[in-house]
Amino acid sequence: MTKEMQFKEIVAQYCNVEPEEMENEMRFREDLGFSSLDFMSFLGELEDTFDVELEEEEALKVLTIADALQLLERLTV
Amino acid sequence: MRKYYPLTAAQKLHHNWILRYKTQQVSGVSVVASLKSALDFGLLKKCIQLEFERYGCMRVRFTKPDENGEVKQYIAEKETRDIPIKDLSGMSLAQADDLMQKWAYETFDKDNIPLCDVTMVKLPEGYNGFFIHMDHRLIDSSGLVVMINDLMQLYTHYRFKSAYPQDMADFEAVLVKDLQKAGNEKRFAKDKKFWEDRLDALGEPLYSDIQGPSVLEEARKRHGNPKLRAADIELENLFVQVKDYYLEPEPTRNLIDFCMNHQISMTNLLLLSIRTYLSKVNNGQEDITIQNFISRRSTHDEWTSGGSRTIMFPCRTVISPETEFLAAAYEIQNVQNRIYMHSNYDPALIEEEMRKRYHTPEHTTYESCYLTYQPMPVKMDNPHLVNIAQHSKWFANGAATKKMYLTVSHTEHGGMNFSYHYQTAQLEEHDMELLYYYMMRILFKGIAEPDMSIGDIMEQV
Repeated sequence: MTKEMQFKEIVAQYCNVEPEEMENEMRFREDLGFSSLDFMSFLGELEDTFDVELEEEEALKVLTIADALQLLERLTV
Repeated sequence: MRKYYPLTAAQKLHHNWILRYKTQQVSGVSVVASLKSALDFGLLKKCIQLEFERYGCMRVRFTKPDENGEVKQYIAEKETRDIPIKDLSGMSLAQADDLMQKWAYETFDKDNIPLCDVTMVKLPEGYNGFFIHMDHRLIDSSGLVVMINDLMQLYTHYRFKSAYPQDMADFEAVLVKDLQKAGNEKRFAKDKKFWEDRLDALGEPLYSDIQGPSVLEEARKRHGNPKLRAADIELENLFVQVKDYYLEPEPTRNLIDFCMNHQISMTNLLLLSIRTYLSKVNNGQEDITIQNFISRRSTHDEWTSGGSRTIMFPCRTVISPETEFLAAAYEIQNVQNRIYMHSNYDPALIEEEMRKRYHTPEHTTYESCYLTYQPMPVKMDNPHLVNIAQHSKWFANGAATKKMYLTVSHTEHGGMNFSYHYQTAQLEEHDMELLYYYMMRILFKGIAEPDMSIGDIMEQV
């Protein structure tokens, strides 16, 4: 499984959108219905799954799936 | 072979209260759910028994404490108890509610016993349904709402051939995942650092009481310490009264619109109104801490596994009177977002750290107010029941571990309910009236003029 698909499968656990239907412009809160707590829990799940450390300031700037994927890409290089 | 698991941080929260207050009553949670309709009680009984199979948390039991006082949990394979039926239809609805309130005071006092009782009830005015009484270590209110909905979906499936409800997540699998998360050393170290950094930056918290500074002053005298920053917890008289206030749909809509337009969550707006009130009645105190409950249900599995997933963390903010209302709301939101990121931590460890650092006396606290915001109403969300009148009611367990515990929930007609649970040993209904009155004045002044300073709002309301 690609990193992107693994990422989208995690996102899918938090919302009612299937990984295949996710678009990069989708916003976590407005389009996928994440609450603040959902989003923060999700970031914790990303840290555990991909063994990365997210800086709080940076993490709070993530708005869309594309933002999160880019951040993940930078951290896992 | 049966597996035994330690308690999660959320379960420990209730478990520790039972130990501190020496009664299981503090951990009771009860609700009645009924429909104005003739029910097939034979079928309902079958559905309740099926629910015990589907929803593993209903079968959780606790072992006797070992030599170190440690309690473990396990999931009983089957619940074979009969589900009794009680006929209260000859009473008024108020009398029936009073009787069920007495059932809510009952305790589960032994080890290795079922901690979930379900009773089918025939209520007055043609309402029929069931009363559930459980231990909070097994379930929280969101979990109960999910259970009630699932149960009624089972009922409508067998009664009206509607779709069979989707499978619930396996309670045991989610429990194992939670315990694994809590045992993740890297995550634990990060969370620990976050909470300790907060104390490094802000120092010892300062108690603020709904009744003003006299409460802390009395505690200082009692402990012979004029610099004490914590006040005593009531341990003897735990009796609690409940006072509910209803906010109509239109003003509720205004609050929701404000939240949406400014990307502020309702929880943070409510926290701001409580902290502003506390500041107002405590001579403008800027350093205020409120305990805020978080329901750790984000994924589909967490939503449908039941269990007790509600946990509280101190929301501590230091806000000067010059800060504008909207800026103060963002400040709280910023703190809360960081707390959410570290909400896997066991809050008992935060308390332990504070006691170690500041030598806080036993049985004292830095907080007088506790908040739970529940976005989800207790409603049987089922297309077959949509046109049937419902009567649902939460019953207080009658023993408060907190001086004032506010639950804010949305009603099915678009309003909001503010339910104040208060210890009668120290508080009266009038204190709740004042608190609600000022909370509303602060909220509506703030959303009307979000650039007004907190100091001016405190003066004007």
